[in-house]
Amino acid sequence: MRPLLLAIIIFIAGYFTARYSLITQVIDLSISAWERGVVGRATKAFLILSIFFFLFCIPIERIVARDPSVVSRKYISTRTTATTRKLLMGPPPSDDLMRIFWPLDISRSSALSAPSSSTTISIMANPQPGVLVGWRNSAMDIFVVAVLTGLNSARIENELRSRTLFRKTTHNLDRMFQLCGRNQLHVLGELNGNPPPDDRLFSPDYIHAFTYKTSRLPRIWCPPGSGITLQVILFNRPYPRQMEYLMLNPICLVLEDKPKDDEDEILEDQDEREERIKQKELIEKLKLHSVAKRALTEKEQSLQRIIDQINCSYETRDLIVENAALLASRRQRRALSVSERVVESAQSAWKSFLRMCVETAKFLWPFITTAFVCIMLFWRCLADILLQLLEWRLRPEYAAFKDISATAQQIDIRLQQFCYWPLQYVTLRRRKGDWDSVTTSHPDYIRFYNSLWLVANDIIIGIALGSYIIENAAAVAYGIDYYLRVYTVEGIKHMIHWLMDQPLGLKLNNDLAKFLGDLFLWVVDYWAGTMTSLRPHLPYIIYAIGISSFAGASMPIALFSDLLSLLTLHILSFYIASARIYNWQLTIILSLFHLFRGKKRNVLRNRIDACDYGLDQLLVGSVLFTLLIFLLPTVLVFYILFATARTAIISLKASLETCLAFLNHFPLFALMLRVKDPQRLPGGIRFELHDTTEVSCAFGNEPDAPASYILLKSTPLTVTQIFDQYFQLALRIRKHYISPHVILCLVTGRFVPPLHRRNLYSMQYSMLPTRRASMWEVWSKVQGEERRD
Amino acid sequence: MFFTAPPRLQIRTPSPTTIEFTVTTSLPPSLPLFILRPLLSTLRLLSLTTLTLLLLTRLFPPSESPPLPLLSFLTPVLALLSSLPIIPQALALPFYQFYPTLLLATYVSLYRVSTQESLLVMKQLGVQTSTTAGTLWGQGRKTRFIPTANVRDVVLLEGFWGWQVRYYVAVVVEGEGKLVVVFPTLLPRRETCEIVWRGARKCL
Repeated sequence: MRPLLLAIIIFIAGYFTARYSLITQVIDLSISAWERGVVGRATKAFLILSIFFFLFCIPIERIVARDPSVVSRKYISTRTTATTRKLLMGPPPSDDLMRIFWPLDISRSSALSAPSSSTTISIMANPQPGVLVGWRNSAMDIFVVAVLTGLNSARIENELRSRTLFRKTTHNLDRMFQLCGRNQLHVLGELNGNPPPDDRLFSPDYIHAFTYKTSRLPRIWCPPGSGITLQVILFNRPYPRQMEYLMLNPICLVLEDKPKDDEDEILEDQDEREERIKQKELIEKLKLHSVAKRALTEKEQSLQRIIDQINCSYETRDLIVENAALLASRRQRRALSVSERVVESAQSAWKSFLRMCVETAKFLWPFITTAFVCIMLFWRCLADILLQLLEWRLRPEYAAFKDISATAQQIDIRLQQFCYWPLQYVTLRRRKGDWDSVTTSHPDYIRFYNSLWLVANDIIIGIALGSYIIENAAAVAYGIDYYLRVYTVEGIKHMIHWLMDQPLGLKLNNDLAKFLGDLFLWVVDYWAGTMTSLRPHLPYIIYAIGISSFAGASMPIALFSDLLSLLTLHILSFYIASARIYNWQLTIILSLFHLFRGKKRNVLRNRIDACDYGLDQLLVGSVLFTLLIFLLPTVLVFYILFATARTAIISLKASLETCLAFLNHFPLFALMLRVKDPQRLPGGIRFELHDTTEVSCAFGNEPDAPASYILLKSTPLTVTQIFDQYFQLALRIRKHYISPHVILCLVTGRFVPPLHRRNLYSMQYSMLPTRRASMWEVWSKVQGEERRD
Repeated sequence: MFFTAPPRLQIRTPSPTTIEFTVTTSLPPSLPLFILRPLLSTLRLLSLTTLTLLLLTRLFPPSESPPLPLLSFLTPVLALLSSLPIIPQALALPFYQFYPTLLLATYVSLYRVSTQESLLVMKQLGVQTSTTAGTLWGQGRKTRFIPTANVRDVVLLEGFWGWQVRYYVAVVVEGEGKLVVVFPTLLPRRETCEIVWRGARKCL
């Protein structure tokens, strides 16, 4: 609920900012503050404080931290090189690897012990001993969840078995165990307890760990004689309430319900498919090359489960620690005396009144929600009808209305979003009834609020744009009319006149040029006349566009794009006509060229055969060939003119479409999350090896089994990955339009095949499901949600 | 380049089950380097500030009246800047020369001097390759972690690179058509590669 409220508040704030020019007022305020010297004083104070901090606090802190750790560096460095040499030369390491996952906050919170002094290496008796509780993934692979203080280990083991430690759980407990892939928490060992006698060997069932104030790393007691190597993997618990989590693979911002094969067939062209098949073969071949693949141990397979356990560890820890505190401080309750009861009832009079209010609200609540759902379903019905209209085709092979017009498509996208929101919201509400650590719906959450936010943004920008257009409708209409007249009518006329009059000193065929030019000029004149009759109505059209922009800035852009294609219809027809003429002429020249050589194209076999022509055939053919060759430049210049004009219009429309794409599908929410809290956009994990010298210094030089300390971190999604869809779209467009085939089509005047529509707009629809849920599904889902409440 | 040495290998093994190979071009620690490093950082900071000031001067010329009140405290600094030798000529450049030069200068001042690439092998956990090169921000840092379950093999291969044959260590990943090359920018010599390959195989 909170984010929804936040979104609404942001929307209202954005509206007010746009409406009352708050930014200007804030700037005025800051200027006046500057003039009165507020900033200067604040900066001075900040500077003085930071100088003080740098000069005194940091050095003192450093000195204190350094002091105990300056022990026997020499010894440690020699030992390190010795291990290195041993590793590289010696036999492979033994399999006795003990893996311990250790949350970093344990070391921080429970390291109450004084720093171990540098001279006496003995471990000091700790005032805060605790018991380590966690998951045991296998005998040598443990995961520490929490430290419990004030209870002994035997009792904790009992309580864990009888599940008394989970009594205050708010959600289903089995669900948590299922998430973590285990059915029992265990006592793993003890923290800061008494050191075990030296003659005992290390046992993985019960470890002894110690923490020190000088270091955030734990020390695991393990004598070198036991032949076990330790691998301590440290991590920071992600905070599930803030929706932070870890993932092995990058989070997917696109909705993944599209039927994959069907999509791929359209998106890929021939080369891509071949490439993919080849790669698949290569992978298969590679599998044959490894002789013996050893079976994976349980430890190696459990990585995904461990990531889940890390995601759950915060909530599990909270639950256990809370219950353990209750157990430790359990005291007997005594019945209240009469006077206490009087006091309590007096205190709770206000509370009972409040409770009555709440009861009334609870009684009314189902009616309100049902009414709301009914209103929503009514609107949903309307949306469905409109969508059906937009998708209606005269015949199955014809284009639907939304494929022709940008406006129709824009309306289609908005309506589909509207239809999908209730379902998305229901999915997000369901999250409430479960643990916060369940991370499956987090991408849904990002998508939902991204689309909401984009729509809100769109409307805010639309209001600003719309009010401008409405207030200046006449001026805008005049501007549009002026540019259209100058460029699409006067400009074309001017160019045609120029082409008719030996352009650049080229000797074109005057008669043909005059014929073609007159033809086009006549059509342009007729079009200009139509435009003149349209001119008085243009301000009203612009006014209507301005009003439409209150539904979002994408609306006027789409409408303008449609208007542009309507008002430049004559250029499209010129382009088609001149391309046709040019193409015919080229084809005729080509076949006459074959005749010239005594050859003929065999259509049935798709090849060129020899052919015996008669003398008259050859003569007429050669005459025609020469004629057409000399007439070709004249037709070519007209074709070039109209093709250029058409390309210019297409690029203008493409830029408008790009604007639409940015308004409809900009990963705004993801970018904000990336800045605000990168952990909410997990893009994989990475490890950092801790320095050996640092580790050994912190603990003193007590001989221990070799242990490596590795820090596990989350890698946030990179900006490139967030914008991945845009890059893919750009790649696809580039591949299509800058291909030899398209350039050949353009040169020979053939029809340039457009990019598949689904290809071009797949990005805008990538956040929406391919199949719209039916009314009944929506109703049952929403009702189910209500019943759950 | 300045401040770089030929690539050399550093190995860190706190325990025999975890090993990190780092190939770096940074100079080995020495006294001059100890002094030079802060100097370099200061130079970087100085050049970045100068570039920012240049941009500000370009966008809001101080000669224009009235100057922006929020920027007025910068006026003496800008005046000082304008009295330096090259700055006025730089400010007088046309925009199509000025902005690209500014971008280039920013890139140079953010350029990372040394390149560092590493391979971290953790027994029963996985392999991680990482590269630190290019600029200080942005695409410079890349890490890739491959879980052991997905590692098919670690191999030592030779490949053509320009006019020479180079040996490189690569990780064969399950179900992927491309190899993951370890140390992709530095491509150290065969002896180094051999050590890394042996160590990684043993550790896995």
